[in-house]
Order: sequence, then C-alpha cells, then structure tokens
Amino acid sequence: MKHIFLLLMLLVLVVTGCATTDVAVPDDKKGKDISKRDKDGRDDVVKIDRDKIRDGALTEEQIRAQMASLFKDIHFSYNRYDVPEEEKASMRKIADWLLKNTGVSVLIEGHCDERGTNEYNLALGDQRAQSVRNYLVSLGVPAHRLETISFGKEKPACNEHAEECWLKNRRAHFVSSK
Amino acid sequence: MINSPNINQDIKLSRKIVLAVTLSLLVLVCLHVSMTEARLYIDINSPGLKRLPIAVVDFAGIAEGTEMADIIRSDLDFTGLFVFINKNAFIESPTAPFSPDNWRPLGIDAVVKGTAELEPDGALSVVASVFDVVESSNILKKKYSSRKDSIRPLAHKIADDIYEALTGQKSYFSSKIVFIGQDGDRKSIYLMDYDGQRLKKIVSKGDITMKPHWSTDGKKLYYSSLRNRRWGIYELDFDTVSEEKLFSSGATDLVGDVTPDGNYLLFSSSSKGNPNIYRFHLGSKEATRLTHSDYIEVSPSVSPDGKSMVYVADKSTVPQLYIMSMDGTDSRRLTFEGHYNSTPEWSRAGDMIVFSGRVGGQFQIYTIKPNGTDFKQLTDTGNNEEPSFSPDGRLITFTSDRDGVKGVYVMTSTGEGQKRISPRNIRAFGPSWSH
Repeated sequence: MKHIFLLLMLLVLVVTGCATTDVAVPDDKKGKDISKRDKDGRDDVVKIDRDKIRDGALTEEQIRAQMASLFKDIHFSYNRYDVPEEEKASMRKIADWLLKNTGVSVLIEGHCDERGTNEYNLALGDQRAQSVRNYLVSLGVPAHRLETISFGKEKPACNEHAEECWLKNRRAHFVSSK
Repeated sequence: MINSPNINQDIKLSRKIVLAVTLSLLVLVCLHVSMTEARLYIDINSPGLKRLPIAVVDFAGIAEGTEMADIIRSDLDFTGLFVFINKNAFIESPTAPFSPDNWRPLGIDAVVKGTAELEPDGALSVVASVFDVVESSNILKKKYSSRKDSIRPLAHKIADDIYEALTGQKSYFSSKIVFIGQDGDRKSIYLMDYDGQRLKKIVSKGDITMKPHWSTDGKKLYYSSLRNRRWGIYELDFDTVSEEKLFSSGATDLVGDVTPDGNYLLFSSSSKGNPNIYRFHLGSKEATRLTHSDYIEVSPSVSPDGKSMVYVADKSTVPQLYIMSMDGTDSRRLTFEGHYNSTPEWSRAGDMIVFSGRVGGQFQIYTIKPNGTDFKQLTDTGNNEEPSFSPDGRLITFTSDRDGVKGVYVMTSTGEGQKRISPRNIRAFGPSWSH
C-alpha cells in the first residue's frame, strides 16, 4: 500500500509539473523505492531519485517506458556466468542510458535454469548478476547504483522442461520479485 | 524379575552396582556381562551378512502395546538386517514367560517381548526384553516411561536399544529428517521422523528457504533464507522454539555444515565478489574467510574428525568436488568423472562421501571414498539430488522426481530399497538427516 501511495503521489507530481518543490512526502521517504506491481505480483524495484528527475528532461513515465524497451534480460550459456559477446551491445546501450539518467539505480537479479542443485544454482545466479554489474561498472556506471541478488533456479520465467525454456531462465533480469 | 522395580538399569549400570559386591561374585558377573556385550548377533560390517530371524511379540498390557510392537518391527525391518515370520505362527502368548522351546521350532533366534501399562498419573510405563533363543538367555531388559501420547518416540527408543544390543551399533530410529516443502509458491521447512511419520511444518518465513543443516546435538537447524530481498543465515533453536539471524553480508550467503564439535558453521558467501568458503564461530559470531579464489565455491561438508571438508568448486569450469583442510589450505580435486558434481555430504560415521552428479542429462546419486576410490552410482531413475546420510551412515535420504513430483526418498548406502517417505501432496526436496 505504501508503494502504491508513493507512486500515486509521484504521478500527481508528474502531472502537475515537475517543478513543484513542496511535496507531502515525509523526508525519510525521499529516494526510496518507487514500486509498481505488474500482473505477476512482482515489484518493479528500479530506484528513481525524484530530485534528479525534477532537474532532468524526462518524466518518470518516460523513464519507465525507455527502460522497458532497453533493459531486456541478459541471457547466459549453460552453467556459465561470463557476459556473452552477443549480449554486450545491448549492455552498452543500458550503460549509456544509465550514464545519462544518473538518478536511476537498478537491482540486477541472477537466475538459472532448473537443471542442477538449488545451492550451486544460487551461487551461479549470484555470479551472473555480478558479471552484469561488473560489466556495467567497466563501462563507467557507478557500482553503488547497481545492486545484485540471486534467485538461483527458484523463480523461473518459463516452466517447460526444454532448452528453449531453459535459455529464457538463464538470465540476468532488471526486475525483482518482492 | 520382570516386575522388579530395580530393573530400570541397563547393562552398564548393573555392572557398576556389581562392582561393589564381593570379588568372586564380581568375577562371575563381569564374565557374564562381558560375554553379553561381546556377542554380536549381527555383525553389520561383515560382507557375508546373514539376516537374523527375530520375533517381536505384541506387548502385553494395554492396547497400545500392539502398536508399539508394530513400530519396533517396522524399525527393525527398515534396516534390512532381520527376517520376520507372521505373528499368527507364534506359539507363545504375549503374557506367557519366555521359553526357548516355543521359538526353536519356528527357526527364530531372537525374541522381543514387553509389557505396557498406564501408571496412576497417566504416564506410560513399558518394560521391554530381548531373549536369545539359542543361548536361552535374556540379552536386554529395560524399563521405560513416557507420556501416553509419545508412543512413537518411545517405541523408536526401545527399537534403538534392541538394535544396539544385537549389533553393537547405534541405530537411527530416533533420528529426524528435515526438508523443504512447497505448497503453492511458499517454501517451508518440514520436520518428520526418519520413517516419514509425525510430519509437521516448522518454519514458513521467507520467500525462499534453502536446505537446512543440523547442529551436532540435533537441537538446532541452520539454513539460508531470503527475507525482504536479502539472503541471510538463520538458526532455529528447537528448545526455545525461536529463530535468530546469524549472518547476512548483503550478497549470497549459503549454509554448508556444522563442525562435529558444534563450534563452527561453514558457509559460502559472495560478499567479496566470488562465493568463497567461510568459517563462522557460533559462540563469538565471528566469520573468518578461508578461501580467496575467483571462482564459485559452495556446499562445504565436514569430515567426521573435523579436520577436512569436501566442497564444490567450478575451478575446472564445471562443478566438481574438492577436499581441503579446515583452515582452507591443501585443496585437492576429488571427482574427475561426471559433469556437474555437487551437494556433497561426508558421512559422520565413516569413510564415505555422497553427492549428486549429472550423467546423460539427468542427475544421479554417487558415493566415493575421500581418497577418490570406490566411485559408485546408486540411482538410475529420474533426477536424484541432495543426498544426506543417516547418523550411522547406512542409509541415505535424497530428493527424486522419479514419480513426477519431487519427493524425499530413502535408500541404503549401497542404493538398495529405494522408497519415498514424504507425502505426495507436498513438493518436497532438500532433505537433511539429523546426526
């Protein structure tokens, strides 16, 4: 409820023009998560610093739209956690965008396919998320804007027992479940 | 003798009392005691093991005596070390005194008899005896007392004593298995007796909870759990029924094992980038980093002497088992066969490591000796993962999807007698057997 309330407050802020400075949001809520639940009950945990949005050219809605088209899952080979060459172009775009939109921080989730033990897959997911973060950091994105978490094989995006599905599940994802 | 109030003594106690009497008596009785202790009715370590024909007579007294005998029979049967005959063939009634002549014609070598009564205060009082038919002797007699609603644990305790009297070894009948059960989206920790009975859900907190690990004394559990988007290591205390967060680095912290002395918890943490092995002192709550590699290291499991650990590393690009000293030095690779070897557990009872590995696209359970010999595959149907030894190392519990939905199974350490013990309505995995 708190998040929905915050989001409503922010939408009001956006609609009424971003230049408003006095917002009825307690100080300790500034810069906190602005979450939006999607149909899976997941939270979009992209962090947006409202002060920076105000100063920038983009509205929060514009930012979300751009991120939705840009922040696609990064896919990995079986049992690997190095960022594949073919994913580097889209990661460079993500890095460029993050360098322009300095008020945005992201949480990177690491995921695995269903094969293998839960424990090892959590370590593998951790390393996938960290690889993505490290690559973004190498492209100049400040590390403090990139958090990571591993879900191992616990939160698959696809539930079939086939390679097509496994590939979808071996991913670094920029949206986290709560 | 059976009704004597002083028989609440095991052999060791009676030996102590005997020490106080005269020398001649001392010699005689000690001879008797040592003979009793020395005789192994079943040498479980003998390669050409012959199963012992045993009769467990329904306990006389209250109606629950029949249920208790059933549980004891089931425990002994579980070991595969005994043969039974139909109790309808018994000549001797439960209330009649033991006479070897009633059992020799049936080919029975050992007889278990007992009496169960309710005390005036409502407590359950049981006297159990084991007789040797061949020697016509009383091997064990012991008095037990418990709450009336604790029939199952009491029967398991009696079976423990019978097993020890006949084999000279500790049994696992009073041991427990915990596992992760999933109903809907939620994963909880479940606790059950080793035979799958008395199942209960004990921890439902957290979005994801990983396979729990037992403390050496069986009074605590350690597990990793994801709470509010943060991994942490938690301790559940069965005595106080309370949970405490022990460690959370902000990265991925995964519980491995507790050292046999109960002082340290081993775990893997990626707080410095790569998942490395740490040792956590449970008293001071201090974590010490043991390894500094730039690859994945997880799932440490301690040797029975507490001097070494087996763990998983992807140094060779695929996960394989390695062994190193408790201080993180002298690492050597243990497994060379198989792709993707993981979740090792070092038997607390001896010279064996069990793990799961991938072959032909599926995961199977394997055992190997710590010196790298005796590599054996124990399963071949479905995916079989996350093995854990019984306290005596003779059984292995594991996860299998052979019936479609994941469940907790048990088999012997050589792969025999594979059977499901968790209920079919719960997706169950990550079993861990108490020590």
